[in-house]
Amino acid sequence: MSGTASSRMARWAFAVFVGLCLAYLLLPSLIIVPMSFSSQSYLSFPPAGFSLRWYQGLAGNSAWRDAAANSFLIGVPAAFIAVALGTLSALATERGGLRWATAGVALIVAPMMLPHVILAIGLYPVMLDLGLLHGYIGAIIGHAVIGLPLVFVSVSAALRNYNPALELAAMTCGADRVRSFLHVTLPMIRIGILGGGILAFATSFDELMLSLFLTNTGTRTLPRLIWEQLNDFLTPTIAAVATLIFAFSLLLLAALAVFGRSARGMPTSLALATAETAAHG
Amino acid sequence: MARPGDAAGRRPWTLHRGNALLLVPPGLFLLVFFFWPLLRVMARSVIEPEFGFENYARVFGSGPYVRVLWQTIETAGIVTVLCLILAYPLAYAVARAEGTRLKLLMIFVLVPLWTSVVIRSYGWMIVFQRQGVLNDLLLSLGLTETRLTLLPGSLAVHVGMVHIMLPFMILPLIASMRGIDHSLLRAADVLGAPPHRRFLEVFLPLSLPGVSAGVALVFMTSLGFFITPALLGGPQLMMAAVLIEEKANVELDWPFASALATTLLLITTALYLVYLRLTRGASPLLGR
Amino acid sequence: MADPRTLEILPERGEARAPASGASLSLEAVEKKYGGLVALARTDLDVRPGEFFGLIGPSGSGKSTLLGMIAGFVPPSGGRILLNGTDIVSLPPYRRNLGMVFQNYALFPHMTVAENIAFPLRMRKLQRGEVETRVRRMLEIVRLAGLGERSPAQLSGGQQQRVALARAASYDPSLLLMDEPLGALDKNLREEMQYEIKRFHREIGATVLYVTHDQDEAATMSDRIAILNQGRIVQVGRPRELYEAPATSFVASFLGEANLFEVAAVSQSSPPRLRVETKDGLTLSANQLAHFEAGAVICVRPEAIQIAKSAGAAANVLSGRVLDVVYTAGSLRYRVEVAGGRVVLVRRPLQRQAAVMEVGSPVYLSWDVSDTILVPNS
Repeated sequence: MSGTASSRMARWAFAVFVGLCLAYLLLPSLIIVPMSFSSQSYLSFPPAGFSLRWYQGLAGNSAWRDAAANSFLIGVPAAFIAVALGTLSALATERGGLRWATAGVALIVAPMMLPHVILAIGLYPVMLDLGLLHGYIGAIIGHAVIGLPLVFVSVSAALRNYNPALELAAMTCGADRVRSFLHVTLPMIRIGILGGGILAFATSFDELMLSLFLTNTGTRTLPRLIWEQLNDFLTPTIAAVATLIFAFSLLLLAALAVFGRSARGMPTSLALATAETAAHG
Repeated sequence: MARPGDAAGRRPWTLHRGNALLLVPPGLFLLVFFFWPLLRVMARSVIEPEFGFENYARVFGSGPYVRVLWQTIETAGIVTVLCLILAYPLAYAVARAEGTRLKLLMIFVLVPLWTSVVIRSYGWMIVFQRQGVLNDLLLSLGLTETRLTLLPGSLAVHVGMVHIMLPFMILPLIASMRGIDHSLLRAADVLGAPPHRRFLEVFLPLSLPGVSAGVALVFMTSLGFFITPALLGGPQLMMAAVLIEEKANVELDWPFASALATTLLLITTALYLVYLRLTRGASPLLGR
Repeated sequence: MADPRTLEILPERGEARAPASGASLSLEAVEKKYGGLVALARTDLDVRPGEFFGLIGPSGSGKSTLLGMIAGFVPPSGGRILLNGTDIVSLPPYRRNLGMVFQNYALFPHMTVAENIAFPLRMRKLQRGEVETRVRRMLEIVRLAGLGERSPAQLSGGQQQRVALARAASYDPSLLLMDEPLGALDKNLREEMQYEIKRFHREIGATVLYVTHDQDEAATMSDRIAILNQGRIVQVGRPRELYEAPATSFVASFLGEANLFEVAAVSQSSPPRLRVETKDGLTLSANQLAHFEAGAVICVRPEAIQIAKSAGAAANVLSGRVLDVVYTAGSLRYRVEVAGGRVVLVRRPLQRQAAVMEVGSPVYLSWDVSDTILVPNS
């Protein structure tokens, strides 16, 4: 039957197409890793020779160490703030019976949807006025703003995924609102909160635009240092940094997968929330 | 236990009483650190250096700035369309996969997402530079005779941006495709629809919420995108965010940068509102 | 104490009941409106202490709204809800000291069975030892002893149901609300659970308000029933009263099956009896004691009608033809076409020796005058 022959060819063409797309997705990441082991000091691919000198150079370089430390010093608190505020927002819009809930949601999610460059040049004078410019707190606040929607989306999805009657049941059992939240709601949405928090951290970790405006040489983060180095010196040191960051990101992803295994309904919504990371460079 | 004092006359207890208070801390936070900065940018564009729309006259005047804005929109559009074309079959394959194959495919999609954008753009720089991978390949295959200057260039920007944006198109598509009720497809089979009709008339329409979410996300993100166009585009293909950063950080022309930023903001906000209206607030991007 | 109600109880239900420790519940002018939509019209209701009170009605009749207002999830638009004489309308659910069993059990999935049952006790700050004792007692009462460490997901539907019961009653609430608790179970399990719940009720002694759409279930279990339709309570009474003296044709057809006839004309006949002509053109006999008139509705229960090949000597006789006969568990259900094209339902218990009337065969339907029931409001 000619139908099967042509459909088999179509299936084959489909598979090839998909394969090419997958290769396209992984390509740049795969180029950088071997490059970091090159023994030559110019960027080339395939890399010439094998050497760990770039990694060794990193170990002794305080600029990179400080930048990495700064990324954590800013990212972790920003993630915590995003988690606290994002969870509150999600609880209010999902359980609150608010009339303007949809408008509220649109406003809460806006920092994720609108270009970060605008927020950056807007926060600059605000931080200047508050005396927080170029300090850690200013950067933390800025990163928290863009992390908040991620936590919100993640926790909203988690709240939607489980039975609201559970909270009613808790109340008939004698738990007031605070206690029914602590004992019933919180354990159920724990995964959503955690996932959102990790995403907020990852977004902060990769955020360039805000750091360009809100940090200085003392508080600059990894992306900002990479950016400066890229424009000035192009050596495989960048590749080594990139590989390390890559490894770290994989670890975060793995952590997320491990936690996510015990949650129902989380994978797609979390994957969706993952869809908002780090693009707003 | 009911207390004797709880007589009639007090208003009935409501479940949602006080829930709006939960929004106060995040609301205040966003008000001060998101909406207020946006207002300041918009204000600055019409207050400095003098009152008036002088900055906007410059933006829309005879200079290159309108072209930049136009290029931004155009590039964002092209990137979105290309992403959709590539992502749809890929998402279809992932949505239908199960078990280990599913996990493997998801790794392919998620790993680039979790790799820093700066790093991936850097990777494309290596591919497109004169001494780079692509030129090596073209030379060795005999397709060119000299090394091409592709970097900076619009091809590099497009390829790079599509690469970065692809997962953002794939994930909403996967989510919506996996949500399609299989019994609907089986019903179509039973009712006699050939595979391509089943796809066109049942599957495709049901996947549209994912399509619109992906399109909205990719388009709006591309409009404001900085890193990849900055590294791969240069003066040839300049996009709005790159221009704004340059004007603000390098030339320190804040009022003008504010005007450009406000224009970009208005365009993006208009699209956001259109998207909200179309989906009536029910979108996976909003968590609902 | 000789409780007059215990005299009504049929033998299989009647053990001496523990003295009622349940709360009294009164609804005074309680109503619920959503904008212009009336979910529940102004309602008055009295539930006696220790009573097992059923609330039945079709979807949208307002029974869930009613339950929600008593529980505290739905604020009433007006009226008072008195629990042991105190108005609880302004109290949150966690201060009303009632227990509730939800339709899908609403067991906390992240806690074990024992922790679920212990939860309300912990909320009331009972001591550890006391909590453990009570949990063990409740597990024994619902016959799940030894399963305390399981998680709810590991239990069957019936077992989860019993955990929900145990949790709702672990702190001896004086009022227990049940919102269609058996809806998710299959038939056999449901009957078994009905028995369990009744036994539970007798042991605990609380007042129970039981919402269900299954009128058989309500009739089996309840001391009294309130039947709702379109936001109003249509009739309140014992199941038998509702069945034998329905107040409206809605009640007549909702509780059990009914053959309803509209009265066209009434006249005297001998012996002292009424001759009723229906709008279908049939002639029936009824007791003088009831006040029939044109426009009233008559109800004849399918179980009250005899079906035979020959006309008997009963006061009401109709001749007809069998349209179809259906075997259900334990009974035969006939549809018989009589004069005027009217279809009458007849239900006979299935007995080995009884002959089954075949489809198409001519038959005679007969019933007593006392089974011609007047339905007051149509």
